[in-house]
Amino acid sequence: MKKTVPLLIVIIGGVIWLAWVFVPHRIIQDVFYYDFYLPWARAMAPFAMLLGVISLSMMHYGKIKRRVPKWQYSFFFFAGFIVTSLAGFIGGTQKGGLYMWIFENMQMPMSATMFSLLAFYMASAAYKAFRARSPEATVLLVAAIIVMLAQVPFGVKISKYIPDISQWILDVPNLASKRGILLGVGLGSVATALKIMLGIERSYLGGD
Amino acid sequence: MAEKKSFFVWMQSLDRRWIYLVVALAIIIPLLIPYNSDNVTTPPTENVYQMVDSFAGREDRAVLLSFYHDASVMPELYPMQIAIIRHCFERNIKVFFLSFLPTGAPIIDMAINTVKEEYPNIKSGVDYCNFGYIPAALIVPTVIGMGDNIATAVPTDAEGRKTENLPIMKGITNYNEMNLVIEFSGSTAGAYWLIYARPKFGTNIAVGVTAVMAADEYPYLQTGQYIGLLCGLKGAAEYEKLVDVFAAYRTPGEPLQPYIDENGNKIVPGRAFSKDILKQPEIKDLIKITTQTEAKFTPEEFELFLKSCPEKDQPLLQLAKQTVEGNIIIDVSKLDQDQLSPITWDTLNRLTRNTQYKFKVARVGMNAQSVAHIIMIIFIILGNIGYFLQKAQTTKK
Repeated sequence: MKKTVPLLIVIIGGVIWLAWVFVPHRIIQDVFYYDFYLPWARAMAPFAMLLGVISLSMMHYGKIKRRVPKWQYSFFFFAGFIVTSLAGFIGGTQKGGLYMWIFENMQMPMSATMFSLLAFYMASAAYKAFRARSPEATVLLVAAIIVMLAQVPFGVKISKYIPDISQWILDVPNLASKRGILLGVGLGSVATALKIMLGIERSYLGGD
Repeated sequence: MAEKKSFFVWMQSLDRRWIYLVVALAIIIPLLIPYNSDNVTTPPTENVYQMVDSFAGREDRAVLLSFYHDASVMPELYPMQIAIIRHCFERNIKVFFLSFLPTGAPIIDMAINTVKEEYPNIKSGVDYCNFGYIPAALIVPTVIGMGDNIATAVPTDAEGRKTENLPIMKGITNYNEMNLVIEFSGSTAGAYWLIYARPKFGTNIAVGVTAVMAADEYPYLQTGQYIGLLCGLKGAAEYEKLVDVFAAYRTPGEPLQPYIDENGNKIVPGRAFSKDILKQPEIKDLIKITTQTEAKFTPEEFELFLKSCPEKDQPLLQLAKQTVEGNIIIDVSKLDQDQLSPITWDTLNRLTRNTQYKFKVARVGMNAQSVAHIIMIIFIILGNIGYFLQKAQTTKK
């Protein structure tokens, strides 16, 4: 029973959504989707947010309670969460309020700083590890240099052909490999979905 | 030779902190000292621009901008959002905004406010509509629902007003009218629009992504599922340039705002996209990112400009003009803003072809990116020379 019910829910749900995609009948398109699913989806969305907040709070509360390594950082979560929420609820989220000030002067620069560190790691990795050790690595290295040059105005100054060569690299070898990967992922997803819907793949239920 | 070898071997073991320092300087110095450089536009960016521009002045067309990212990727995506919003405001294009991420909503507000400062006539609910944050759980119902009726799928805007009552909705029902969605993302951009809106309703989709994600989007671009692509800061810089050359371009005497001509036709200022114009040498004056203070006219253009100005400003302008090589030049830095009427001041500033910093951020950034890329290429080459010399040395031993 513990496995049959969840299995049935997954199978029935899967079949319904499959039908929704392929069957244009009124019952599935209007009655099911618009009259049944949409109101339920709208009603459930806030609960998902609530669930997330509760789950995150419980996790950090547990860290503080158990004094796990770096538990002090969990206070920052509570401080940030409470201050930002109060700022939004009391002062509103528009420009001129504390909420927007926090976003513009704290969250934005901190997030951008984290992402911009990538440039430094990439430069260091390019210098330390990007070596023409094999013919394949050499092709990758040459392609990278051409695409990097084509990305900036200076590259066009060196040669007017660099952007064309770069575009060819992106349009042909890059596209072919990306499409191959996408097709593989797509077929794999379909196969996995079918296995789940047919009850062959049951690992998501736990156990074997 | 032995000295050279030891230099490269030493370079091989260079502490990474020196590399970080060089990269930091390569980025900071060009940001502090801007120089003029030309960002050659590419077809994926031009296609997005042309599609947006084809909606200019139309009541029955609109663009939807989806901000599916947080603040971390703002340095790359924010300039392209600013450029597109500016394009829409310049060319009187209706524009809608939404975000399926809570952190995307403040970015929408920031972007709108940043551009709106320069366009006092643009009004919320009339020229643009911000739907704000829509929970991710409602992505599919929203994307599909807007194919039937936008006002039903998103009943209220971010300010709590009923969507169906907003003036912007006049002539706009679903994707037939709001026929272009541009999604900005640092990850799987456009996926939902591609899966649900494109096949079911034929919606045109374009994406603006960070440069590292751009390669992933090419398969969809090649099939035509995406009508265009803005690739990182380069895409933003290209779009900024196109807005300066076409949408924000004003000839002397031309009004700054849309107007109705004597035949009752709505005229939207600016000019239509043309590859030929991009090839003209004169456009170099339009895309300068250094500060410009001189408005240049031919004698005929100056007459037209004078006629379009209020009478009280005309003597001042006559006094301020200088003739250089047959052209008339007015230096706005030598004029007193308080003595001129606002319309003359704005028009004159527009004719200096000076671009405000917020509208050229991507191009200033591209200068820094240019130097950083060159530095990285030099690092790669030096690293490889060192590697091969060391290898040769080891083999010899």
